[in-house]
Amino acid sequence: MLDLHTIGLVVNPIAGMGGRVGLKGTDGLVDRARILGAEPMALGRAIEALRPLADRNLRFLTAAGEMGETALRAAGITRCSIVYHPSKPSTARDTREACLKCITEGIDLLLFCGGDGTARDVADAVDQTVPVLGIPAGVKMFSSVFAVDPGAVEAAIPEDAPLRCIEAEVIDVDEEAYRANEFRTVLHAVVRTLAAPGLVQVSKQVFEEVDEERARAAIGAFIADAMLPGILYVLGPGTTTAAVTLHLGLQGTLLGFDAVLDGRLAGSDLDERGILTLLDSVGEARLVLSVIGAQGFVIGRGTQVCTPAVLRRIGLEHLVLLGTPGKLAMTPTLHVDTGDPELDDAFGPHLQVVTGYGTAQRKPRAIRTRFTDPEVTFGKNRM
Amino acid sequence: MQTKILLDEDEMPRRWYNIQADLSAPLDPPLNPKTGAPATPGDLASIFPMELIRQEMARERFIDIPEEVIEILRLWRPSPLYRARRLEQFLGTPARIYYKYEGGSPAGSHKPNTAVPQAYYNRDEGIERIATETGAGQWGSAIAFATSHFDMDCTVYMVRASYDQKPYRKMMMQVWGAECHSSPTTLTACGRSVLEKDPQTSGSLGIAISEAVEDAATHSNTNYALGSVLNHVCLHQTIIGLEAREQLASVDEYPDVVVACVGGGSNFGGIAFPFAGDKLTGKVPDVDIVGVEPAACPTLTKGLYAYDYGDEAGLTPILKMFTLGHDFVPPAIHAGGLRYHGDSPLVSRLVRDGTARAVSVYQNDVFEAAQTFARTEGIIPAPEAAHAIRTTIDIALECRKTGEAKTILFNNTGHGHFDLAAYDAYYAGRLPDYDYPDALIRDALSRLPKVG
Ligand SMILES: Cc1ncc(COP(=O)(O)O)c(C=O)c1O
Repeated sequence: MLDLHTIGLVVNPIAGMGGRVGLKGTDGLVDRARILGAEPMALGRAIEALRPLADRNLRFLTAAGEMGETALRAAGITRCSIVYHPSKPSTARDTREACLKCITEGIDLLLFCGGDGTARDVADAVDQTVPVLGIPAGVKMFSSVFAVDPGAVEAAIPEDAPLRCIEAEVIDVDEEAYRANEFRTVLHAVVRTLAAPGLVQVSKQVFEEVDEERARAAIGAFIADAMLPGILYVLGPGTTTAAVTLHLGLQGTLLGFDAVLDGRLAGSDLDERGILTLLDSVGEARLVLSVIGAQGFVIGRGTQVCTPAVLRRIGLEHLVLLGTPGKLAMTPTLHVDTGDPELDDAFGPHLQVVTGYGTAQRKPRAIRTRFTDPEVTFGKNRM
Repeated sequence: MQTKILLDEDEMPRRWYNIQADLSAPLDPPLNPKTGAPATPGDLASIFPMELIRQEMARERFIDIPEEVIEILRLWRPSPLYRARRLEQFLGTPARIYYKYEGGSPAGSHKPNTAVPQAYYNRDEGIERIATETGAGQWGSAIAFATSHFDMDCTVYMVRASYDQKPYRKMMMQVWGAECHSSPTTLTACGRSVLEKDPQTSGSLGIAISEAVEDAATHSNTNYALGSVLNHVCLHQTIIGLEAREQLASVDEYPDVVVACVGGGSNFGGIAFPFAGDKLTGKVPDVDIVGVEPAACPTLTKGLYAYDYGDEAGLTPILKMFTLGHDFVPPAIHAGGLRYHGDSPLVSRLVRDGTARAVSVYQNDVFEAAQTFARTEGIIPAPEAAHAIRTTIDIALECRKTGEAKTILFNNTGHGHFDLAAYDAYYAGRLPDYDYPDALIRDALSRLPKVG
């Protein structure tokens, strides 16, 4: 047995409490959730994921108590060192600090247990050097860094082989708005996760032979080849749209909106006003958006940039959606939420998404009322 | 009332119908890919027998079917014409639905209708071996069956991805004595050069065609054979439509609508050309002729009518046809036989002239129709054939709305017994609805320098 990987473990002990009592997230609501009878679920999920790792030749670095140590003990894992002592009760700051500490001590993989909120905190601490993998225990898990279930964690970490990594998106869903049945999704960060088809949400592949990175490159080349002179191309956030700027040899922003005109960058990290100003100076424009996250968002109002005004000015017929086959395979429907129901309806029942060089798929658009019950939604979409 | 309308063996047509005789103006000629000048018979002689080259350019209305070919076709022909009464009842349509079933041939599709005469003419001119390519394996198994009847050798270059994933067609070829290789191979120069660059390649139809053409061009005892697209292939398939017209006449019917799927166009031409001929000559001016293609590869509905190469490598003659561009690689739909960038020049011409029209359909809708058909009529259709079923059902449902009692004839080109994994994927909800981004592709093509 070779298997000398060192793994950092960070557990968010209160993750997932809101979901059971219908709160759609736990941010700022722990006390309310406790009163409603919510039980912490993170510990149980972490133990479930860790137990199969006890027989493996792995070394763990973690935080004291319920932020990691407790779960490792319960899973029968003894090869571990405590590198961080959290405050009581622990906070998001402790999550970030614990991650940083693990990274400075030297790890090959950061395992965290929580939901999108935890993923966001983890993403703030790591850079692209250390891959992260989420043990799913949150209310919302729209990010692409989670194992499909706790039991899949063990299989996702290869024995006797180097870790294969791919880029993955961490999505920020505004919990306040989500509780009111609105989607405000923002691409928060791009990190590295393990490439484990079928085990990690983003890398699930069905028929296509191509892997995610090759598919992205093909999409980028196709859109770049289809760019006409005199037309403004507004590129939204995400790794797939970034493949377009990459192909053009331009320095775009991964998380913001950029604009390309005649092969040059006409604007970078634009806000709504910046886009509207650019639109005033050109005749025609196209809006190029990636499908992001593990649940297939076609970002709408959440970006604070794709406002109904911008969408109307560009015209829905000039919207170009991009998504890799792997991503589309795990999302039965796409979500559009512009903040204007009439505009949402104008998208029609299906959306065309470009999936490769000259190829596309037709996907149904989700009807928003389907998302009133998070338990049902997540159970169905997470395969 | 009759369910199967059958012809006796001696009622089988003895001549094929050549629609070139009835075109208002001759087809634009194929061009030599090297010189760009109209291809001469000599250009084609290194890979095709003279009689097939003659048929490719022939203008006479009928061409006799050789007696030896008729003898072999008798193994399954005349094929039955079915009245799909259970499907009609299920749909509650006043339309009368008839279909030709070509899945009863030894290889399970319409492909042997041309494989047998192609093997015959090659053997007749002293050729001892056929080299060909196959994607999912329908054509490869048909030509393997046909060559076995003329004691010829047969080498099939099968796209590696299918060779690995769909082993049953490969086994059929072995049973009939053909050699089936996973393409790219180390047997040809072009296969070796592909493997050198990318040993892990999953292969492509373009590479397999190049291997087969190279094999044929470099061995004097060997010719190449193509399972669709070319005029002589469509000609051989007209036996389907000729039989169908007889069978319908025997129950006092003539179709208002003729429906067939379109890959390279051979089964469509096969069932539709006799009726298109009646339309062109004014005998029955208003028959509606409909080709059905996948939304993922919408050659006739979204393609350009232009000269283009027949293969990815640019080795075949340049043909005037509807095309999505010879470098277009269609997505991996399960109807592998419909993944072709171009189309028969004859079928293209009929669509361009408005004699026939085309529609495109999405994959999940196709499998839904296939399931409906299997549960009413019993036969589990090939995914290609199910495209025709989808559109037939759509037209029949339209009839329910309008109350019109149209007579619909469609071509059921094969059974789906080797495609059950595709049905499985459909039930698991794993079938993507592949689409074609036509606006973007137009933009991309408009930037390219014009060729030819
Ligand atoms: C069963 C079946 N139907 C239809 C087709 C489409 O080919 P064509 O358009 O030449 O008839 C194929 C091709 O492989 C096939 O196997």
